[in-house]
Amino acid sequence: MERYQRKPGMLPKSPSVPDFHGSTRVRNINLEMKRNASPMLPSWLPPQGTPSPERPSRLRIESTYMDDDENLSFIDLYGDEVMSRKIDINDDDYEKDDVRTNDECTDYPSSSRVGSKSTVATFSDSNLELNTDYGTRTGSENSESLAETVNHYVPSEHKILIDPDGIYDRYGFKKQSNSLSEIAYNRWWKEYAPYCQRRKLKWKIFLEKHKIQPQNSQAIPSKFPDKTEKLKRYIRKGIPGDWRGNAWWYFANGDDMLKKNVGKYKSLVDQVEMLIQSQTDEKYSKIYMNMEIIERDLNRTFPDNLYFQQDPDSSKEPRMISALRRILVAFSIYNPKIGYCQSMNFLAALLLLFLEEEKAFWMLVIITSKYLPGVHEVNLEGVNIDQGVLMLCIREYLPDIWKTIESTCETTAYHNAFQSRKSQFKNEFLFKLPPITLCTVSWFMSCFIGIVPVETTLRIWDCLFYEGSHFLFKISLAIFKICEHELLHKRHQSRIPGISTPNPSKYSKSHGDDADIELFQLVQSLPKKLLDPNDLFEKSIFKRIVNFNSLGQDEIDRCRKYVMSQRNKYKDFVDMMNKKQTEKDASVISTADGKSSDSSRYDVSVSSSEESIMTAEDLSEVLMRETYGFKRTLTNVSWNNIGLKSRVRQIRKKKDR
Amino acid sequence: MLQFKLVLLGDSSVGKSSIVHRFVKDTFDELRESTIGAAFLSQSIKIKDPNSEEDVVIKFEIWDTAGQERYKSLAPMYYRNANAALVVYDVTEADSLVKAQAWVNELKQKVGDENLVIHLVGNKVDLVEEEPSKRVITVEEATKYAADENLLFKEVSAKTGLNIKEVFQTIGEKLYEIKQVELAKNPGNGNGINGDQVNINLPRPSTNDSTSCCS
Repeated sequence: MERYQRKPGMLPKSPSVPDFHGSTRVRNINLEMKRNASPMLPSWLPPQGTPSPERPSRLRIESTYMDDDENLSFIDLYGDEVMSRKIDINDDDYEKDDVRTNDECTDYPSSSRVGSKSTVATFSDSNLELNTDYGTRTGSENSESLAETVNHYVPSEHKILIDPDGIYDRYGFKKQSNSLSEIAYNRWWKEYAPYCQRRKLKWKIFLEKHKIQPQNSQAIPSKFPDKTEKLKRYIRKGIPGDWRGNAWWYFANGDDMLKKNVGKYKSLVDQVEMLIQSQTDEKYSKIYMNMEIIERDLNRTFPDNLYFQQDPDSSKEPRMISALRRILVAFSIYNPKIGYCQSMNFLAALLLLFLEEEKAFWMLVIITSKYLPGVHEVNLEGVNIDQGVLMLCIREYLPDIWKTIESTCETTAYHNAFQSRKSQFKNEFLFKLPPITLCTVSWFMSCFIGIVPVETTLRIWDCLFYEGSHFLFKISLAIFKICEHELLHKRHQSRIPGISTPNPSKYSKSHGDDADIELFQLVQSLPKKLLDPNDLFEKSIFKRIVNFNSLGQDEIDRCRKYVMSQRNKYKDFVDMMNKKQTEKDASVISTADGKSSDSSRYDVSVSSSEESIMTAEDLSEVLMRETYGFKRTLTNVSWNNIGLKSRVRQIRKKKDR
Repeated sequence: MLQFKLVLLGDSSVGKSSIVHRFVKDTFDELRESTIGAAFLSQSIKIKDPNSEEDVVIKFEIWDTAGQERYKSLAPMYYRNANAALVVYDVTEADSLVKAQAWVNELKQKVGDENLVIHLVGNKVDLVEEEPSKRVITVEEATKYAADENLLFKEVSAKTGLNIKEVFQTIGEKLYEIKQVELAKNPGNGNGINGDQVNINLPRPSTNDSTSCCS
């Protein structure tokens, strides 16, 4: 009897990291075989479906985690393997995946398209054998061997086995969440799995064309072609699951980072071990504080994921948890400016599912410095800047949503000073961020982990590392756009049953507070339901008619600079006002004069030595002058990065002339 | 229907999210993912008008916040316009009461509203019931502190559900009471201080803190 077991040479490899030796876990999930399936059918087939001889094999999940292997992602992408030796596939027909039908997953061998070039590809990949095996089995054989397989799995060591029909997905996450049922997941996966296979096949052909041959036994490439529109398209359609770790590493330039820091991680880990053992040295008090917070978060990181769960049969800590601790503590030593910030636990944990420990560490370094600069720093200024940028983007691209958000914006104590100008100061929200940003900070801090379902998160990460951080803004805008659609839909529906709404216009004030609360709720609940990444990507982002599709990295970088400069200037402004106010109060008390009018209250003397007095009008003029325009060239952007005071002086000089 | 904004504050992993989930969804997870930024939830309760004995629906707009120290820079956004604050500590963690006290001080300083209802809660009493030696903060200590600071106080368990509903009920009643007093002070308009507002909410106080732009 053949067993559904991977050949030893194909076992996915796991990180070679300190402290891992000998720690293994065995987990047997959902082995309840007494389902009501007919004896002729494998019980793990959907009961209603006719068993396709091929599909079950691809839905099979068998994830293995070996101790003594090295270096590669251990995620076994059961779903992405090819289904037949001979595949007729039209490589250039990339639009094909835009329309997916159930038939497509089996139509490859016979499909022929008129007027399109076809490539016949042959794979001699060892995985294939396994898969074609499945394809030739009859139902009854399948059923028997499954029982065998399961029994076989139980005693085997080093493995966490995931039954495809069980409650966990291929990454070890629970399929079911508060927002999604397992049935919905399985229904989606049934269609998405064949899509993954098709994409992987196309990727293989694509790489072959570029003469890239994977060197390792798992046929996972560690190199990718140069950046082209075609490659971008491939990335946007998803990187094969088991290639992800390598691809992210490659596109984020991980090797450069590692080459510059040979041996660094190991020495950091040595330090971590030392600190864990001593816990007394005064000079490390800051690190101990971080360690304490890290410790509290370890068990609260992916508690629903198998790899992070405590094995009830073992007192040993899950190795993922140990690795997570090492990475996070090592990071807090490596970058004291950031130390540890909640949300990094999720970033590191997701990386650990795809990369070996050392690489995961350096990826965390790259994410927190290159992709999300300042976002995790102690004052969180980086994330506030990004929220400001997002708000500007929403104002630009989704004006209707912006109306709702704007109604929740609070004016500042100096609002009057601004209003005294002819035009209202429109950018106050960059300083006093609207409350909706409380919901959106986590999108950036955790790069959508836990915000959208995991497969969608991974597709976002694919694009993030290839295209840059502006992709996070694009996704955010897409989510808001879908929310807008939902809100309109709801409003529309509520009007149907004859209830007269006084003001049928969208987001009108008549909804009052409800409009923003509705939006808050939607912004939080809706992303969790975005199960199908293709839906999100194709319908809401990568369409020419979507106005923010053209939003690029340059624009976001420029916008970030603008928001940063505006926030700094405003902070200076507030400081000066406060200082002036204190002085004024003091002088009022000393002279008991009390004549100070409202307008003179805002007069600011920059310093005692400086004769010129800056008024609120001067300062607000500076802030108002500097507006941001999307899609303009740099020279047309009328703001600059000098300090507030110098800017006032500059403007005055111009006026004097 | 009356609508109030309520924020949860307290040290990391004292059980803020668990309390909200017990209240809103009546569920409990032993291990809950740490909150990043903030989460928004809402839940309505019924209270009885003490005079007319009529039911009044109160809707809470709840902001559940991240506990880590550095998220404090976002805090002004949380408690801007809040009507009530639930300040949480863990009865098995000495330091968590210190952090709770710091939150109470910040709220009193920065939220310029004497009507802000602050409710202190000591969570995780289920652990103490299992193993009395785990308790490090006594009921007496916390009660005294709450009395000194004029806070509402209760010990709760998000795990067993002990006192969770009661806490929100008390807050709701207190907010209703305050609103009635305000109405009595400002007869003639259906609202509080700002007569020109049309909504029936408590006028949301603004923060005194001009620098609370999360910088």
